[in-house]
Parts: sequence; structure tokens; C-alpha cells
Amino acid sequence: MIDPKRVLRALAEHWTLLEPLCERFDQGTLSLVELRNQLSAQLPEGTPTDVTALLDQWLRLDILIPVAKSPNRFELNAQIHDFLAYLRREHRLGLCLEIEAYLRHLERLAKYIQEAFDNRDGQDLARQLRLLDMRVRDVLKKLANDEQALVGVAERAKTSDRQIPLRQRYAEVLATWDEYVEPMIQLVAADGAFEQGVYRVEQVLLRLLGEQQRLGHLVDDDLLLRTHARILDMQTTAQLTLRRARELLLPLREEARRHNAVTRGAALALAAIRKKGLDAVPQAALPLFTRPQSNFLGTAAQVEAYVYALARFEPKPAQFPKASGPRGSKPTQAPRTAREMLERCENALPLPDLMTWLLEQEPEGATDELLYWFSRLSRDSRFQRERLERRDYLTTEHQVSLSSFALLKSGLPTA
Amino acid sequence: MTIDLNQLSQLAPIFRELFKGYHVSRRDAELYSQLSNQQDQYRALFKALGFELVCDTRGFYYFVPEQMGAQVNKTAQRLALFTFIIVEHLADQGRDPLAVLDGGSLGRDELPPLLDKYHDLFLQAEVQTQDELEEKVMRRLTQLGFASEDNGIYRFLPPMHRFLDVCLSVQQDRDLAASLHSALPLPTPQLLDDDSGEEIIAIDNTEEETEEQAMARAIAEEQELDA
Repeated sequence: MIDPKRVLRALAEHWTLLEPLCERFDQGTLSLVELRNQLSAQLPEGTPTDVTALLDQWLRLDILIPVAKSPNRFELNAQIHDFLAYLRREHRLGLCLEIEAYLRHLERLAKYIQEAFDNRDGQDLARQLRLLDMRVRDVLKKLANDEQALVGVAERAKTSDRQIPLRQRYAEVLATWDEYVEPMIQLVAADGAFEQGVYRVEQVLLRLLGEQQRLGHLVDDDLLLRTHARILDMQTTAQLTLRRARELLLPLREEARRHNAVTRGAALALAAIRKKGLDAVPQAALPLFTRPQSNFLGTAAQVEAYVYALARFEPKPAQFPKASGPRGSKPTQAPRTAREMLERCENALPLPDLMTWLLEQEPEGATDELLYWFSRLSRDSRFQRERLERRDYLTTEHQVSLSSFALLKSGLPTA
Repeated sequence: MTIDLNQLSQLAPIFRELFKGYHVSRRDAELYSQLSNQQDQYRALFKALGFELVCDTRGFYYFVPEQMGAQVNKTAQRLALFTFIIVEHLADQGRDPLAVLDGGSLGRDELPPLLDKYHDLFLQAEVQTQDELEEKVMRRLTQLGFASEDNGIYRFLPPMHRFLDVCLSVQQDRDLAASLHSALPLPTPQLLDDDSGEEIIAIDNTEEETEEQAMARAIAEEQELDA
């Protein structure tokens, strides 16, 4: 047997060397060479003999143990590793199945307790109660450990590099959720194994208390009451751990899920647009907002003028064609098509002044029509344009002041 | 509900901005605090005027235009396309799209590679050059309160959630997904060519059976089966 005092003293003395090693051992086992290198780096003044002596001591005290079937590889003794992890508040998340196994054992112990009482075996009863109490403490310890481990999972996800893909960042969160939280929810649910197990054990203990009153005491009531209280404590702790796990991980899980949904949605939308054009995205999904252009009429003077014009509005007299009159005495000109105008404009290049050209082309054209053609032609991508100074132009009805364009040459080759 | 106009000290600028399609978020501290403090009054007042003020819990306010269900304007399509592209681009680079679009930033220098990579898609939105991208997309984003620009850095604001919501709703759109995933064209009913000259087979007899005849036929069939 190894003297616990010597182990504890070694741990205390070599803590500065052991702590960094813990991190390395968290990742896996270490070869003898790696171990020596690590220790040499931390003991710059130490000779190789010192390092060998140190390793020998750790091996003697079972702090280090050789890995089975790999004589030159070592790992920290699992018990020591757990103890150090506890001290460093670094916990590895256990399995939900472990808790379930503990519970099954608790139920079995409750059965033995009942049998010991039925047999009026006081010693066995006390032993089984002690075992039950220790097992409940195991569950409590495990729940506390798991809670710390969950905090670690959430912290790692939150603090990891924002530049790495979310899938990687939240991989641990998602795995923890699936492998620990989800089964825990099932376990701690009202009809789950945890509640039912606790209920059965509780019933046995309460019946025992009642029976002791009736048949006489085999064990101290205090022992029964303490065990009962501890079981209730375990039940509350399990629920709290679960609640904490959900609080910690649910937002992260939702974030990861939302991220996946957003990325998938965007990819889907782009695929649809590639195949079917911009209108492929369901119109109903798109946000509606007012156009950014101003919808205001303008200054107060403009509003006044507008209202003034409205008040004095007189409709133009409608002239209906006479049935008897000759038709088409003055043949109406078919409206110009954009293609026709563009061709004419293109043929007339270069145009020193677009508006002057338009007025020459359409001397009788209405002002609004001329302005339409001006806007349409000046914006067309096949022309290269240069803005001119603002000046006045006279149409048949109006005087228009605008900055015209000089259309220089065709920007694109014509088809 | 009585509305005290004296309390609505920012009414004019708030209305002017919202009316232009701007999204008021925390960045516009004064307007935002007015809106959040007097939210109900503003909503009631705007409602009476025929404007629906939307108060998004993610921290922004905007007007829903009257013509709901009317044609979505080109700007909305363009900005949505830009959002999809940014999300995919960042995800491809292994960056977190939500971290960028939900309060993060993007440098102007990142736009040219984006334009190169998604040239075909931008073309559909009539965006071909860097200038056009800045004019038609980035400037619109800032004009509408979706982003702010400072020294060549675009910072995305909470209203961007409206476009992220589009991603989510597209993701949930099963019809869209189904139409994309099947390479086959949609089944179309095959129509008979009326002029093919083939005789159409008549299904029912031209002579109508009377009830008695039908009964007699049924009995005869029954007897045949029994025999």
C-alpha cells in the first residue's frame, strides 16, 4: 500500500511540474522522451539524473503509470488525474448513462434495505443504508462535476476564435446537447428513470420509518432521515443541473441552428436566382420598405402653386371626330419606338447637343415627349456622354432649362 | 388614447426618416430613444395617418408601406441578393456570417473580390462595376438604415435582421427547395391532340340503360358467376 501522506507530499512539492503536465495528459499519453523533454524544459538546472530520479519517484508512488502494452508511454494515474482535475476545476463531462446506472444501483440498494429490515438484520440494514448514502454522494459529486464541465463547454464555445466556422465552434456544444442534455431531460422528466427511482427509494425509507415506530428500532431514525434528506437533495440537484445545462447551452445551440438555417437559406436563394433569375426568391419573403427617394412635393411655394393650379383647373374641350367628316385629313403620326429613335440617334453620332438634335428631329413634338426621349437616349449604355452647361431650349409650347449632353460615340459595338 | 404632441418632440424628423423608408435603430440615439419611450403614442398617431409603424424587438423601427403584397421594388431584391451573397461568401471563407451581418463590419476593399466571384448574380441585379455596387447596394443600405459607412468600413446595423429573416424563410420554403433539388422538369399534363385523327373511345354507351334493364343484366351476370 502506498502511504497517502507521501503521495500528497509529492503532489504538493512537485505541483509546479505536475500542473503543466496535467494539460498534456488531458490530451493523451506521453512517451518517456516527451516526458523527459518536458521536465528538462521546466528544470533548466536539473541534470538528466535528476529527471530520472523524479520520474522514478512518481512511478513508485503510482502518480505515473505505464500505459498497458506500451512500456515507454506513460499516463497519470486516473485517480490522481481526477483529483487534480477537481482541484483545477477542470471537469470532463460524464455520461448520462452513468447517472442512470447509479440510480439502478440505488433501487437495488433500497430492495436490500427492505430485505434486511424484513429479516430484522440491524447490522446489514445499517451497512446497506451507509452504501446508499455513499452512492447518493457519488451521484451528487458527479452532478457537480458535470455542471462544471458544462460551464467549460459553453465558455470554450463563446471564447473561441470568431473567425473559425461555427460548425467547428459549436461542435462540442451540439455534441454535448445530444449526448448529455437530451438524455438528461428524458432521465429527469416526471416519468423518467430518475424520478421513479428516487420515488421508490423514498417510499422504502418512509415505510421503514413508519415500521420502526411500530416494530421497534433497528437503526437510528436520524440515519434514515439523513439518507432521505440526501436523496431529496440529489433530486433537486439533478433538476438544477439540468436547468443550468439548458440555460448555458440552449442559446448557443439555437445560435448554431440559426446560423445553419441562415447559411442554408442564403445558398438556396442563390441557387434559385442562378436558375430562375432574381424573381425566384418568394416575393412575400422580401422586406418591403418605401423607396428611398423623397416623396415630398417640395417647397411651400411649389405646394402653393400646385394648389393654385388645381383651383383654376379647366378641362381641355374634348374634340370628338365627326361621323361625316373626312377621316385622316391630317394623318396622325405613329408614335416613335425606342428602337427607331435609338437607331436614328446612333446614325447621327456624334451629337454635339442631344436636346438641340431632338428639337431638330421633332420640331412639333410635345415637351413631355421630347423630355422623355432626352432622358431615354441620354441614359442608354451604347452612347458615351458628356454633360454640357445648363441652357434654355424652346419647344413648341415651353421654354425648358436643362443641362444637355453631347453624345460622342458608340460605347458598345452595335449588333 | 390621447396623444400629447408636446411629448413627441422628434415627430418631424422621425416621420421624415421613416417616410423615406429609413430604419431607425440605436445608432440614431435621439430618434430611437424617443420612439422607444413614446412607442404607443407614435404608433397610434402614425396609424391614424395611415402608416404602420413596426417596432422590431431586435432594436429597430420602420414603416410598412401601404401597398402590402404589391410588387417588391428592385432595391429590396438587390439588397436581398447582396445579403445572400455576403452570407455565402463569408461562410465559404469559414467566417461567421451572423457575426458580420449582426453588428459586424465589412471593409470596402472586400467588395471587388465579391463582385468578381458573384459577377453572374450581380449582373441579374444590374450591378456590374464597383461603382454600381457602391451606388446601388451599399449606398442604399446606408440610406435605408441597414448599415453605416465610416472611412471605407461598412458596419451592419440591427435592421439587417430583416434580410436574415429572408434567408430563414427561404430555408423553410419547401416548394423552393423541392423545385431546386429535382433536376426533372415539373410534370405537365399531357394533352391529347384533337387533330390527331384518332377516335376517342367512348366510355359510356350512348343508349342509356333503364333501371329494369340494369337489374336484369346484373341478375344474369350473377347467375353466370354462380353457374
